[in-house]
Amino acid sequence: MTAAQADAEPRRAAPTVVAGDAIVKTFANGSVTALDRASFDIPKGAFVSLVGPSGCGKSTLLRLIAGLIAPSQGAAIVHGREVTGPRPDIAMMFQKATLLEWRTSLENVLLPTELSGTVTKADRARALDLLNLVGLKDFAFAFPAQLSGGMQQRVALARLLQTGADILLLDEPFGALDEFTREHLNLELLRIVGEFGATTIFVTHNINEAIFLSDQVFVMTPRPGKIAKIVDINLPRPRTLAMQLTPEFNALAEDVRATLGAL
Amino acid sequence: MAMSGRIAPSQANPAQPGASLRLRRLANHLGLFLVLLVLWETGSRLGWLDPLFYPRPSAILRSFWLVYFENANIWWHLYVSLGLVLAGFTAGSILGVGLGAVVGLNPLVRRYLQPYVIVLEATPRIAVAPLLIAALGFGAQSKIAIIMLVCFFAPFINTLSGVMNVPAEKLELFRSLRATKWQTLRKLVLPDAVPVIMAGERLALTAALSGVLVAEFIQRDQGIGSLILVYTRNLNMASAFACIFTLTIIGFGIFKGMELLDRWIAFWKHQDGRERVSAARARAHAEEA
Repeated sequence: MTAAQADAEPRRAAPTVVAGDAIVKTFANGSVTALDRASFDIPKGAFVSLVGPSGCGKSTLLRLIAGLIAPSQGAAIVHGREVTGPRPDIAMMFQKATLLEWRTSLENVLLPTELSGTVTKADRARALDLLNLVGLKDFAFAFPAQLSGGMQQRVALARLLQTGADILLLDEPFGALDEFTREHLNLELLRIVGEFGATTIFVTHNINEAIFLSDQVFVMTPRPGKIAKIVDINLPRPRTLAMQLTPEFNALAEDVRATLGAL
Repeated sequence: MAMSGRIAPSQANPAQPGASLRLRRLANHLGLFLVLLVLWETGSRLGWLDPLFYPRPSAILRSFWLVYFENANIWWHLYVSLGLVLAGFTAGSILGVGLGAVVGLNPLVRRYLQPYVIVLEATPRIAVAPLLIAALGFGAQSKIAIIMLVCFFAPFINTLSGVMNVPAEKLELFRSLRATKWQTLRKLVLPDAVPVIMAGERLALTAALSGVLVAEFIQRDQGIGSLILVYTRNLNMASAFACIFTLTIIGFGIFKGMELLDRWIAFWKHQDGRERVSAARARAHAEEA
């Protein structure tokens, strides 16, 4: 990005860490286009939501950035390098907690460390700090079956942070939880990623949730899946639940809904 | 006793009956059992049941005393049979788990092996037993081979389906964490398959007990199976029954033993196991700190 462009867009002054360069993903020998020429720049520390109905390619885009699938054309670029596979600076969290049932919370959080080397005392201390951060101090030695769905996702969140990645990809992480737990965990998520200064990409099909959490909302539409519009969310931080009742918030929701409705 | 006070909570929660209710049920079971024994005994004494084929409970009890203590001849046969069960079960289930894992993890092997597995599974295993004896000759090898044959399939099929049915999202998690193939196998696939493998082992050990009997019915030189044959040929049914009830007790022991082993190995599948290990891990951590 040149200096002139940076001046023209003062909000994007932070360096780009995740970019899409006309990413295309087709399935079934090219007969189905899951994602059509997605281009975007995500600045460091930004919170971006991908919102849209099923089949709009939002999960596909997330997996492309994570390096779990390869693009058919174009490229995802992270920290200036093309993504060719899973990498240590990107970590992903799924709709299901995907905890290992035979491991305690602490052992689950330590999994990423274990897979990349040996676990030191400092690693254990850090994992315990993270469990504390997600509010599970007293459940470090509980097994997943002894935890509620919301608590399991908190463990998954701690495990996500234990990777040390600065780019966090979340695929409807609280989608299977009830409304109250979800709202609560969203607030916690904002606090935690803010504390870590992580760049976050969050997939959801809930418009209000997307606006509430994000600096930018990528509105995605299906057949073929594409980014129809990028909506900047200029609401001040820290966000509060009461903001959802302001006219500004409603105007943004209206904008997103209109884009989705204009299919 | 203040037992009557316990009745109210037990009625409120029928899933966990109170101590008095449990005691009463146990007494009912024992009572019914005694009634059946008395009916059998009197029926046999009065000639309703042919005592030649249906020996009286008292005669069976007497035979227990004979085979275990007076003649003490069952011990050797038990030793032989259980030794064969252990050898055949160990070999058969190791082979089953090992091959199951290889076939489950390797799509190419699976594709070419699948038809044979289906054919073998559809064939009654016992039918092959005489062939094994013909091939391996009389003696321990062919008996162990028969037991291996009946022990092989449950662990094989269960291990196969266990390693193939690891949830896709967990595999994706391991991929996103850049786990090696070996790490994925050791830390995800195998532990995930443990409960279903254990279920296979349980079936296999029960099958092993039947397997040794079939082997000894065919080659009746020694072992509990041949002992049963000897007794029934001599029309010593009471002693045959003593042998059969011995097998009942062993079978029950195997069932309970495997259940305990399962609770120990696949502890996370059971509430008490989770609580026990969770407390142990917390204690270990506290001691370290």
